[in-house]
Amino acid sequence: MTELALEGVGKRYRRKAVLIAVTHRFAPGLTLLTGPSGAGKSTLLRLVATAEKPSAGTIAWDGAPLSAARPALRRTLGYAPQAVDLPEDLTAREFAMHIAALKGLDLAAADRQFGAITDRIGLHADINNRISTFSGGMRRRLIFAQAMLGSPRLLALDEPTAELDRETASKLGELILERAAEAIVIMTTHLADDLAPRAAAVLRVEDGRVSSVR
Amino acid sequence: MTAPAIAHSSLKTSLARYSRSWGLWLLLLVAPVGARFWIPDENDRTVVISVNDHAPVMNSAMLGVTLGIVITTLLLPVAFIYLRSNATRRQPWQVEEVTAGSRVAIALGRFAADCAVLGAVLAAMTLAGWFIAWLVTPLESIDLGAITLGLWLIAAPSLMGVAAIRILFDSFPATRGPLGEVLYFVIWMASIIAPLGGAERNATFAGNMTDFAGFVRPLTYDLPPGRENDFTIGAGAASAPGRIDLDVMSGLLSEGYVASRFAWAAIAALVAALAGLAYRPHRPRKERRRTGPLARLLAPGAPPAAQRDAPPAGAASLPLLGLAWAEARLIAEGRVWLLLAALAAAAGPFVDYRLVASPAALLLLIFGLTAHAGRSEQPGLLALTRTMPYSPMLRRAAFVAAGLGWSLLLALPAIVTHGTRPLILALATGGAVSLAAILLGAWTRSAFAPRLVLLIAWYMYLSAA
Repeated sequence: MTELALEGVGKRYRRKAVLIAVTHRFAPGLTLLTGPSGAGKSTLLRLVATAEKPSAGTIAWDGAPLSAARPALRRTLGYAPQAVDLPEDLTAREFAMHIAALKGLDLAAADRQFGAITDRIGLHADINNRISTFSGGMRRRLIFAQAMLGSPRLLALDEPTAELDRETASKLGELILERAAEAIVIMTTHLADDLAPRAAAVLRVEDGRVSSVR
Repeated sequence: MTAPAIAHSSLKTSLARYSRSWGLWLLLLVAPVGARFWIPDENDRTVVISVNDHAPVMNSAMLGVTLGIVITTLLLPVAFIYLRSNATRRQPWQVEEVTAGSRVAIALGRFAADCAVLGAVLAAMTLAGWFIAWLVTPLESIDLGAITLGLWLIAAPSLMGVAAIRILFDSFPATRGPLGEVLYFVIWMASIIAPLGGAERNATFAGNMTDFAGFVRPLTYDLPPGRENDFTIGAGAASAPGRIDLDVMSGLLSEGYVASRFAWAAIAALVAALAGLAYRPHRPRKERRRTGPLARLLAPGAPPAAQRDAPPAGAASLPLLGLAWAEARLIAEGRVWLLLAALAAAAGPFVDYRLVASPAALLLLIFGLTAHAGRSEQPGLLALTRTMPYSPMLRRAAFVAAGLGWSLLLALPAIVTHGTRPLILALATGGAVSLAAILLGAWTRSAFAPRLVLLIAWYMYLSAA
């Protein structure tokens, strides 16, 4: 079974410890990371998404340490960071197909999947428009949609519903839960989220320490 | 999905972005128009190449060679600025770096796109060359092939080299910033100076490989022994009457020259591939560690204690002065800059001001001014400042005033001891650099272009001392 295991993971920036001795096993299902701003949620997400390396401890994917399993994990990873330097002069579809190519996906199939995802989150009418014309909420949905391309076994989502109205956030939530039926989905949120009752686990991150709420 | 598909996607998206930016179309328009001014007319005006103080006799091959040499010597920094500050400088690295996609394939795809764009500029220049041969500088016999060969054989490998350097510098955290511009400036200077030492060597493949810019062999092949270095590249270079007839085509086709140009093109592609292999991810700013006593000295320190009952801020009594003061503080960002500024100012009375203190102060100003100009002209920030009582244009004026203020402050000890000359120099250089930094920053919305242009201007200022 797919498993992502963190053992004593720590992260320091200069002399400041952002994460301290985090030990947790993520199994398929939705895991919510909650906690105040600056608590270390996004840092934890960047570590599991291989965007950064831990200062201490080990991360293992399917039983293999990340130092060896990084390429395998990246082939099946969907990552939606809070901010992306989006290429303003490309259309949303061109951008998504470029990411699909980098993920090693079949482009025709990825194009169809992108159409389906964007249709469900209310972005489909705009996918041939340039990103420079997009609002904050549309950009957030585009970042989410590129993460969903393929069938990621690990989906790391950093505040995907920020800047979205309740109805659109709910549509994203349905897609997230569908994916969580098969994959490990880790999602940060600093607000009490509608998804909490349906999440497999809720972790609280505070002052760099992670505790299990549920 | 394989590496070729990733390279193809990178090429396709980069070309799409280039084609949608106004910069490319401006370049395709300006380059051929500019070409007209690099070819001497009947009165030898606008001469850029002279040999033994004479302008060369213009024939088809010489016309192509002239255009090629101007590109590989004087205009390479423009190509670098264009590639580095164009639409493709923003990449979605936050997502790209966690994919399994081959970095070599991405680098080669982007390198190919850069080469294609520079190739389009060369094609426009070729058309301009044909037009000049036909109408502007009528030649006795027009050989379109000779014009094209001279231009492409000299310029194409060098432009590919610039594209490769751009990809290489984008691969490392250190060279993504100002260090990249400084290093490029050094490489550019070396590419012009290094081949001069080899001008007297026999025409061999190895001798030609010292000439990245490719200008030595075509110009010197036909010169008598011992006179190989008697050529000048630059506006108004010819001072003697009459013209010198050079067989540049024989130089182009001399032993080892063509092979060396192809070798430079291959090296450029290899460097781009190596840049992909050596790629290092972006680092979060907060991750950069500094330790030790010097780091503690240069650290920003703890913020002042918060005053919880602080009243709302009222209107300033001298708001424009406040604006200039704020700009001055942002130009002098960090304690390192202030420390170096203090050293440069303190040295003023004890050294030759024109030769040492003024260039040192100017270099410091260039880095401070261009960094702030690039930051303050970002579209998002501009949109915000447009909503404020003082317009972006007024803020730019405050920027120039602040730059001038810093220039005068850095020269103050020298003014006190040496009198008016440092004052005049500080006013002239400070004003010019501030104005150029904000104009280029506002035009390109980045610090790249102003920094490199001003570094070149700084070198000219230093050399003229």
